[in-house]
Amino acid sequence: MEYSLAVERRFAAPKKARELPAGSPGLVAGEAEDRTLHVWVRFQLQIVDGVVAAAGFQAFGCPHTLAAASAVAEWLEGRPVEEARTLDVKLVCAELEVPVEKLGKLLRIEDAVAACCRAER
Amino acid sequence: MSDREIYLDYAATAPLDPQVAAAMHECLTREFGNPSSLHAAGRRARALVEAARESVAARVGAASERIVFTSGATESNNLALQGVLRRSRGRRVHLVTSRIEHKSVLDVARSLESSGVAVTYVPATAGGSVDAGRVAEAIDDDTQLVSVMHVNNETGVVQDVRAIGEACRERGVLFHVDAAQSVGKLPLALTQLPIDLCSLTAHKLCGPKGVGALYLAPRVTLVPQLHGGEQERSLRAGTLATHQIVGMGKAYELADPEREAPRLAALRDRLWKELAVVEGARSNGDPERRAAHVLNVAFPGVDGESLRFALNDVCVSAGSACAADSPEASHVLTGMGLSDVLAGSSLRFSVGRFTTEDDVVVAAARVAQAVARLRSLARAAPAWCSA
Repeated sequence: MEYSLAVERRFAAPKKARELPAGSPGLVAGEAEDRTLHVWVRFQLQIVDGVVAAAGFQAFGCPHTLAAASAVAEWLEGRPVEEARTLDVKLVCAELEVPVEKLGKLLRIEDAVAACCRAER
Repeated sequence: MSDREIYLDYAATAPLDPQVAAAMHECLTREFGNPSSLHAAGRRARALVEAARESVAARVGAASERIVFTSGATESNNLALQGVLRRSRGRRVHLVTSRIEHKSVLDVARSLESSGVAVTYVPATAGGSVDAGRVAEAIDDDTQLVSVMHVNNETGVVQDVRAIGEACRERGVLFHVDAAQSVGKLPLALTQLPIDLCSLTAHKLCGPKGVGALYLAPRVTLVPQLHGGEQERSLRAGTLATHQIVGMGKAYELADPEREAPRLAALRDRLWKELAVVEGARSNGDPERRAAHVLNVAFPGVDGESLRFALNDVCVSAGSACAADSPEASHVLTGMGLSDVLAGSSLRFSVGRFTTEDDVVVAAARVAQAVARLRSLARAAPAWCSA
């Protein structure tokens, strides 16, 4: 398996891999998994006035999954929730040069973020 | 902690021993003759080939005329299985093998199946053994060959080839053993064992890649799989790769399992002692039946692909082949009852001639660090990620 430099860097030091403090105002969480693909992703978003003030993730999965979750968490911060709902993980895949066969795993990131957005409602 | 590269993948391949390299260099630069030629240069090359054949035969306790050189254990396995099973045409032919064989046996078996050969795949026990009784039960009146490896390439579990071979002898069935992982690691005396065909390789005991051999007991006849020359008693056509064969001969001359196995076992045990402190780490395969050089460990709660990537300069292999979108778990580990996830979380460590105690201690520390880091990224992960 080949990994891009971007994946290598994010995997070595994944930004936003964290648990946000419990009880923070506007905190929501969402998870998604696919056992057949050996992937589980959990996102937490702190939403203040309709904007993602902070994001954090946890993940069990391959290097591409961890790198993409980190990139998505960074992307989310500062964006309106309505924009978060439109997250297209394929854009992150392109940025990280993720092989197409990994897309099935990375779609779980979209699902986890969507679960957060639903919880916010 | 040093970031030097540590090689613990001797079961995949081993570095070339400098003495082997020297012997090959001498051959490459001085003896270019074709061993099949009758002139002086050819006869000198032939003498080198025959000396290597003697060396290989001596290491496995066989007569030299029973050794056929090939391009490696994969070709030897192909020649053994296809050579025996394609002898008979127009009647039912049956092969017995196990579910935990190397791909170079299983894929040949599947190919034979597609051309009409009946195949029985005997399951392994939870400890990774192939039970001789189960093999005996699988033999029927049409069985022509049983093929079971000596040492499993993923777990290092040593199969009871004597018991399986005796069951074969009782039924008049030929017995093939893939000894790629055992030769040079365990004492092997083929003439004292009920083994009819045995696949050998060079590169796993510090010899060159691209050369191997097949041992054939006197009563065995084969249909050749390569045509185009009379080499190797017409069993394997093609100009002999003299320098490769010389390298194999030297590697077999240098291999000394009686002396080396205790040292390798001590290294393996030290490695396990260091890894066992990692929470949840479990060794795969019956520890009482394991070859000295292999240790397979599952690290629950960690994705195997991420763990291997995180280890970077610690050269180890997966207990499974992760096929991206559809992770294919190790057929050996799942065949022993491990879940796909746990099989995917497993690593195979294998030590060899140039491994030091410092190597295994440093490697274990790096593994523990990587496991801790990856687990910290998935603290809230559901139970299935660890089961």
